[in-house]
Amino acid sequence: MNRLGGYAIWVGIAIVGAACWGVLALYQGETINAGWLLFAALASYAIAYRFYSRFIRDRVLGADDSRATPAERLNNGRDFEPMDRRVLFGHHFAAIAGAGPLVGPVLAAQMGYLPGTIWIIVGVILAGAVQDMTTLFFSMRRDGKSLGQMAREEIGPVGGAAALIAVLSIMVILLAVLALVVVNALAASPWGSFSLAMTIPIALLMGVYLRFLRPGRVLEVSIIGVGLLILAIIGGGWISESSPYAAAWTFTPNQLTLALIVYGFVASVLPVWVLLAPRDYLSTFMKIGTIALLAVGIAITLPPMQMPRFTEFAFNGQGPVFAGSLFPFVFIIIACGALSGFHSLVASGTTPKLIQKESQVRPIGYGAMLTESFVAVMAMIAAVTLDPGVYFAMNANPALLGDTVQSASQAVNGFGFSVSPETLQSTANAVGEDSIVGRTGGAPTLAVGISAIFAGLTGILGAAAQAFWYHFAIMFEALFILTTVDAGTRVGRFMIQDLIGNVWRPFARPSWLPGNIIASALIVAGWGYFLWAGVNDPLGGINQLFPLFGIANQLLAAVALTVGTTILIKMGKLRYAWVTALPLAWDAAVTLTASWQKIFSTDPAIGFFAQRAAAQQSIQAGQLNDTMAALGAASVDDARQILVNTTVDGVLSILFAVMIIIVIADASRVWFGIVRGSKEPEMSEAPWQESHLDSEGKEIEREPVGAGR
Amino acid sequence: MPDSPLVRPFRYAWEYLKEISGENAYDRYLAVHAATHPGKPAMSRSEFYRWRQDDKYNNPGSRCP
Repeated sequence: MNRLGGYAIWVGIAIVGAACWGVLALYQGETINAGWLLFAALASYAIAYRFYSRFIRDRVLGADDSRATPAERLNNGRDFEPMDRRVLFGHHFAAIAGAGPLVGPVLAAQMGYLPGTIWIIVGVILAGAVQDMTTLFFSMRRDGKSLGQMAREEIGPVGGAAALIAVLSIMVILLAVLALVVVNALAASPWGSFSLAMTIPIALLMGVYLRFLRPGRVLEVSIIGVGLLILAIIGGGWISESSPYAAAWTFTPNQLTLALIVYGFVASVLPVWVLLAPRDYLSTFMKIGTIALLAVGIAITLPPMQMPRFTEFAFNGQGPVFAGSLFPFVFIIIACGALSGFHSLVASGTTPKLIQKESQVRPIGYGAMLTESFVAVMAMIAAVTLDPGVYFAMNANPALLGDTVQSASQAVNGFGFSVSPETLQSTANAVGEDSIVGRTGGAPTLAVGISAIFAGLTGILGAAAQAFWYHFAIMFEALFILTTVDAGTRVGRFMIQDLIGNVWRPFARPSWLPGNIIASALIVAGWGYFLWAGVNDPLGGINQLFPLFGIANQLLAAVALTVGTTILIKMGKLRYAWVTALPLAWDAAVTLTASWQKIFSTDPAIGFFAQRAAAQQSIQAGQLNDTMAALGAASVDDARQILVNTTVDGVLSILFAVMIIIVIADASRVWFGIVRGSKEPEMSEAPWQESHLDSEGKEIEREPVGAGR
Repeated sequence: MPDSPLVRPFRYAWEYLKEISGENAYDRYLAVHAATHPGKPAMSRSEFYRWRQDDKYNNPGSRCP
């Protein structure tokens, strides 16, 4: 009877899910409620978790709870320690979820709500969560080895080296793109700039408190920090209204770029307790709180979706937010939330050293990734519930929009949508900004969407509520982007110190100051260059750089899925290797097609080298040709800048594509060797040892062995 | 003092937050240390949290962008 009831529930969930998907795909009315999307997502996640993740755990991986995990065998109460699965879930989720799942869906919304949503949900179920779970499991079986180490040991030195270069170059692009999102959100916004600047003294205060006054009291210091943060947002509103200070807090994009570069360098050189660690606590609590609030807000207000199911940009590839057609670019632009290679770095590192029981890779690996996917779905909802005219006026290439609400309104009409100049102005006034035209990068759009949803919840507080919530959302995104910039610069710094340390020993010591400074400067110079180029790109840097970032992230996913497939084949699970091999094939197809188009497309809106050729012609002729002008370039100087940027971006695209091909080719050599029997499947798995913990992490009481005791 | 049903969820939430923020980590370290290295002096609270923080960021993983 119980079993029957169980079946009935799952059949019910399947019917609800299918009905929601049906409505999303077929409904013919004017607008459709976001609730359908929300429930389609939740039902799909529930079914995938119940059935597919269990299949992976039991059949594919063969998780064995009688086998002791590294946390149990090597428990030292410090880095190896069996941690309660619910607590570890929280840690793991906080470590994987960043700004990525919030930005990608907003940009992809230009093609309508359906393509992005389908990819977020199907992608996470069949690819993203599978990658996270398998990487976590394989790293756990190897005492928490990193992805790079696993690639070297399981594939070979060539694959390992390619993985290392991939990680480093991705880090540089990633940091530049994220910093660019912050610059675009804060430029000419005294309110935003002031609130974000205040996070520095707040973090310093928290750092001193934790280091000297009350070590380890993270909760109380975080409560103080969040309180001060709210005051900083309210203070920002006051600053932006009183004109003498407003001017002092209004920065140009180039000033902000410089500030971010200096900040990134200083934060990387300083000890972590000063800035990075307290900022990390602050952003973790803000992140989890805001995501929870957003879920509640959407569930209560259930806003209608204004964006159509598909826009024409899905098919003609002429989108003003980013160029290129649905395949492959939706799958590139939405990386985090569907399939994110970056997670494989988290899943092979800290988390595998803390797992109590092998079977817990399911809630932690698969479950946390489903949760991140849900965050991406909410970001999509926040973007598509906006007026599409407002959406395009905020996100299109600023060169096409012009500077005024009138020119932006005209440009949006040209895209086939309509918005009046008055609507654009009143939207800006409602969120407490001078203008929202050309606020690219996704963060401001999301903030307008979130503020509308939250203002719906707190409507009694009046019109001021939306401006507060807008800057709250901007602050929340900027805060954890900056945390990623801090942490990422540090990761890159250690990687460079490690690399040079192979050649010259003292460099490898993290505490050696000259090495610290040189390596920090190198990594900051790397992302600083791309940030500066992006800010000054005449064609709108985010449109150019975001696809590159997506390609890089999916490249890392390809490395992780290749390692996973290799290990499955070595474990003698060839018949289940499709679980990682199919997502790998899809990921490789998407990434290589996108790289191909970015390199070889003759459409100058897409291909870097076609764009470069047009720029070169303009420079030689001494005046802009039609192609350059149509893209939005305004002068021959613009063309010179485009020439440099497209060269760098194009070369990087080639590098990424070559890396993917090398890793997969090197791995398939190993696969075929094992399948044909010409190669021994050598594995570096830690040997089996019996576990003495029960599923709650308690020591199992055992019968004393032998009667003589 | 037995919890009333109204208080219990809040107590659970508070315990969860304490666990997740690492406030309980020192007590657990002391227990493991006493069991594995009996007689040897353990780190003080402040030393432990310094070690923990430095270790976390000196052996960085990464996060989703």
